[in-house]
Amino acid sequence: MSKQFTFKGASEMPEIPISLGFMDWNKTGAWRAQRPYYLDKTPPCSAYCPVGNDIVSFIQKILEEDMDGAWRVLREENPFPGVCGRVCFHPCESRCNRSFLDEPIAIHALERFVADFSEDQGQKVKREVEEGKERVAIIGSGPAGLSCAYHLARLHYPVTVFESFSLPGGMLRMGIPSYRLPREVLEREIALIESMGVNIRTGITLGQNLTWQDLKDYSAIFIATGAHLGRPLGIPGEKRRGVFQGLEFLKKVNSGKKIELGEKVGIIGGGNTAIDVARSVIRLGKKAILLYRRSKEEMPAFEEEVSEALEEGVKIRYLVNPIRIHSKDGLKRLECLRMKLGEKDETGRRKPIPIPNSNFFIEVDSLIIAAGEEIEFSYFPKGMERKGGILLTQRDGSAGVKGVFAGGDLTSTQRTVAHAIGSGKKAALAMDCYFKEKDSEEVFRRTLIGEGPPISIFRYLHPDERRMDPHLVRFEELNLDYFEPAPRQKESKLPPKVRIKDFKEITSTLPSSLAIEEAGRCFSCGTCNGCETCYVFCPDASILKREGIFLREIDYDFCKGCGICFTECPRGAITLKEEAR
Amino acid sequence: MKKVITGNQAVAYGVILSRVEVVSAYPITPQTTIVEELSELIANGRLHTRFLKVESEHSAMAALIGASTGGVRCFTATSSHGLAYMHEMLHWASGARLPIVMVNVNRAIGPPWNIWSDQSDSLSQRDTGWIQLYCENNQEVLDTILQAYRIAETVRLPVMVILDAFVLSHTSEPVEIPSMEEVEAFLPPYCPPYPLEPQEPKSYSVITTPEYFFEFRYKIQKAMEEVPEVCQKVEDEFYSRFKRRYGAVEKYGDEQAEVLLLTSGTVTSTSRIVIKKWREEGVNIAGLKIKRFRPFPAKEIGEAIKGTKKLAVIDRNLSAGVGGIFAQELKAALYSQEERPAIFGFVSGLGGRDITPELLEEAIQYTLGHSQPKEEILWLGLKR
Repeated sequence: MSKQFTFKGASEMPEIPISLGFMDWNKTGAWRAQRPYYLDKTPPCSAYCPVGNDIVSFIQKILEEDMDGAWRVLREENPFPGVCGRVCFHPCESRCNRSFLDEPIAIHALERFVADFSEDQGQKVKREVEEGKERVAIIGSGPAGLSCAYHLARLHYPVTVFESFSLPGGMLRMGIPSYRLPREVLEREIALIESMGVNIRTGITLGQNLTWQDLKDYSAIFIATGAHLGRPLGIPGEKRRGVFQGLEFLKKVNSGKKIELGEKVGIIGGGNTAIDVARSVIRLGKKAILLYRRSKEEMPAFEEEVSEALEEGVKIRYLVNPIRIHSKDGLKRLECLRMKLGEKDETGRRKPIPIPNSNFFIEVDSLIIAAGEEIEFSYFPKGMERKGGILLTQRDGSAGVKGVFAGGDLTSTQRTVAHAIGSGKKAALAMDCYFKEKDSEEVFRRTLIGEGPPISIFRYLHPDERRMDPHLVRFEELNLDYFEPAPRQKESKLPPKVRIKDFKEITSTLPSSLAIEEAGRCFSCGTCNGCETCYVFCPDASILKREGIFLREIDYDFCKGCGICFTECPRGAITLKEEAR
Repeated sequence: MKKVITGNQAVAYGVILSRVEVVSAYPITPQTTIVEELSELIANGRLHTRFLKVESEHSAMAALIGASTGGVRCFTATSSHGLAYMHEMLHWASGARLPIVMVNVNRAIGPPWNIWSDQSDSLSQRDTGWIQLYCENNQEVLDTILQAYRIAETVRLPVMVILDAFVLSHTSEPVEIPSMEEVEAFLPPYCPPYPLEPQEPKSYSVITTPEYFFEFRYKIQKAMEEVPEVCQKVEDEFYSRFKRRYGAVEKYGDEQAEVLLLTSGTVTSTSRIVIKKWREEGVNIAGLKIKRFRPFPAKEIGEAIKGTKKLAVIDRNLSAGVGGIFAQELKAALYSQEERPAIFGFVSGLGGRDITPELLEEAIQYTLGHSQPKEEILWLGLKR
C-alpha cells in the first residue's frame, strides 16, 4: 500500500486528490457477481462438416497469411483438402452464420486455395508408420479407405490398402470427371498419404485374387468397397446393347477408354452421377437429354452442378418416367409416362405419381441409366449383415465380425466424398480404441464436434488444445456492430463454350489476395481470434497482456464482472456466468 | 487579417489559434458548424489535432476529461440538450480542476422542440463550477476563446464561452483574426500541474472521505474568487497586444444614469442603439452589459450602479417558479450592498423570439414610469 499523507487543512492540500501509489490494494474483483471467461464455442460450419474440419482455425491462418499453418490445420482431419475444396457439397457453407448478414464464406474456395497454395510451396510429410504395431488391411482406396489409412498412419499403424483397379482413388478417380477434379490434384494427395508409409496395392480384388483367409495376418480390417453397381430400372429392354450404366460409363470416360455413343444420348436419373454423365456426354461432343421423374426441386444433384450442366447445353425433362425401351437399328425408342407430384415420401421429397394413359415416346441414339448405385456384398463373410441397401455397422464402424470395420458408401445412404472421409476417420479412431482396449463410445463423445456427428481426431490427439464447448453459435449471439456487408469472393469459371471442348478443370483457384479478403469475412463464430476488442473495452484493465501479447486471460483480482467484454465480443467467445455465492 | 465570418467560424479560428490538441464533439444545431469546420481542417491534414468521434455529448466531455487529465489543451462545443446531457461530466471537469474550454451556442431546451436562442441551457449549468462568459459579437467570440484558455489554465477551472444561436452562430461579421505568432506570444503552451506519466502511475480524483472532500470544494470556491483578478490581468495583456477589451461588465451611456438597462449576449447590441436614441432624447440612462456570469461580477456591478435608482434586467431565460436568472443573481449580489436600486426583472425572447428595440423601449418606459415593479416577473413581448 502506498504512503498516506495527512493534511491539517486546505492550505496544505493539493487541488485534486491524487493517489501517487498503485491501486492494486483495492481488489475490485471482490465486488464481482458474475464472471466472464474465455470459452470457445462450436461454429456451425465445423459441426456440419462431415469430415470435421476445423474451419475457423484454418481460415484464421489464411488471414495471418500462414498458408502452411492453414494446410496443417486442414490435414489434422482430412488428407484431401485439394479434393474436398473442389468436389465437396460444402454443407458448412449452407450453415454459415454469415449468410444471415449477406452471403456465406466461400469455405470450399478457401480450402482449395490452401491446398493448391501449399502444393506450390512443395509439401513435405514425414513417414509416420512404425513397425511392430498392429497391422491393418483396408479394402478399397476410395476416400473412405484412404482417409482411414491416413489417420491410422498418423496413429503410426502400418497399413496396406488393397484396390481392385489398377490405380488408387476409387470413386474420386472413377466417378468424378476430371473437369471437376483434375487427376493431378487427386494424385498428389494420394502420394502424400503413401509417403507417410501407407502401402497401396492395386489390382487386387477381394473375393477374387484376395480371400478372407489371406487377411488373417492383419489385426483389423476396414472395408470400404463403395457402391458401384448400377441400380437397374427394372423395365423391359434395359439389358440391350447400347444401354449403359452411368457409373460404368463414367469409369470408361475417366480411364480414357473409348465408348461408342450415338449423337443423341438420353440419361435417366436426377442425381450427381446423372449430371456427371450428362456433362461428360456433352464433352464427348454429343447431345445430352436428361430424364427425371420428379421436378427440379426434388433433384438430389447439387444445384450448382445442375445449373452448370444447363449452361453447357444439357437438356433436362422433368416429371418423365421411362417404362420400356424399344430398340431398332441402334435407335432407342423410349416409352415414357408423364408424372405428377403427390405427397411427401420418407426422403421428404414429393412422390412422383404416373398419370395414366400419358404414354409418349422419346427417341435417342444411346441411353445411360444413372438411377443410383448399389453395394456389392457377394464377398461378405458370415456375420456381416445388409439392410436397406447398406452394410450394417455400429456407431464405431464395426461390422459384426471381430476386428472388421467398414465405412464409406458401403455403409451409408449419404454418399458424399465428405461423409466417406469422415467415416474412414471414425473407423481409424475406433480401431485405435480396439487395439488399446479403450471404450470407443466414450472416446467419440469426447471428440464430437458440437453435438456431432462429426468427430475431431485432433481433439483425440491433443485433448488440451483448441478446446471447444459443444454449444453451437447462433447468428444472434454475434455482435454485428463489428461486421459490415462484404461481397463473397467467387472462383473464376471458364465460359461454357470453352468448357465443353475438353475435360479440363472449369474453375480456378482464388488468388491469395482474394483468399485473404474472403478469409477476412469470417465471423470466427465462437472462436477467439485475438481481436482484442475485450482488451480495449475492459474498464478495469483486467484483460491481461504480457509483453504486449494478448493472453486470453482475465485478472479476476480486479475484474468487477461488468460484462462489457462479453457484450462487446464480436464472436461470442466470452461466456458470462453468475458467481457461486 | 480581417475576414467576414460567422460566430461559429470565429470559434473555430479561436480553437485553431489556441493550438488545441484534442477536439471531441457530437453534432447538435446550432453548434454543429463549429466542429464541422474543425473536423474538415483535421481531415484535410491542415490542422494537427486529434478529433474524437463520440456517440454522445456525455462521452464528448468524458473524452476531454481524459485528454485534459493527460495534459493536453482540448475543446468541445455543444448546445441545449447536448449540454444538458453533459451535466454529470461538467461537475467532473471542474471537480477535477481541468482547464477545458467549451463553447455553448445558446439554444432553448425542449419540449416543445425549438432550435432558437435563449439562455436556459447554459444557465441550467450555473452550479457546475464552470466559468461562464457571454459574448456580444463575433470578434468578442474569437477573443474570448483565446482569453478563456489563459484564464482556465491559470485558475484551473473549466470555461464555457457562450454565444447566441443564429444571431451570432450563423451570422457573418468582419472579424480581425490575429496571427499565430501573436497568439503564441499571448497564450503559451499548456503545462499541466499533475502530468500523467505512464512510468509513474497515478490515480486522479480518487475516493475522498468526509475528512477532506469539504476542503476540495472550498478550494474550488477560492479559485473562483481569483477569477475576477485573473480575468483582469489576462485582459490587460490581451489589450496591450491586440487593442481590444471587454471587461466582466461594460457600462455605456450616462455615467450618472438614473436608470440602467442590464443585458447579456447579442441583446446588448440592440440595447446600445436604444440607449443612444433615448439619451439623444434627453433621458438620463445607461446600459450595462454583463459578460461574465460565473463567477458573478457582484463587485464590478456594484461599482457600475453607483447612483442608479432603477435597474431594468432583460433575462432571456426563465427559472420557472422564480423568474429571470440574471435578475435573481443580481438581487442576491446586491443584498449585502449599501445601494440597492429597485430591480425590474423583465423576461423576454424565450425560444428565439426577437428582442426588438421596441421591446427594450417598452421596458425602459415601464421602468421610468414606476418607482417599483408591480410584479416579480415583467413579461416583455408576451402574447397573453
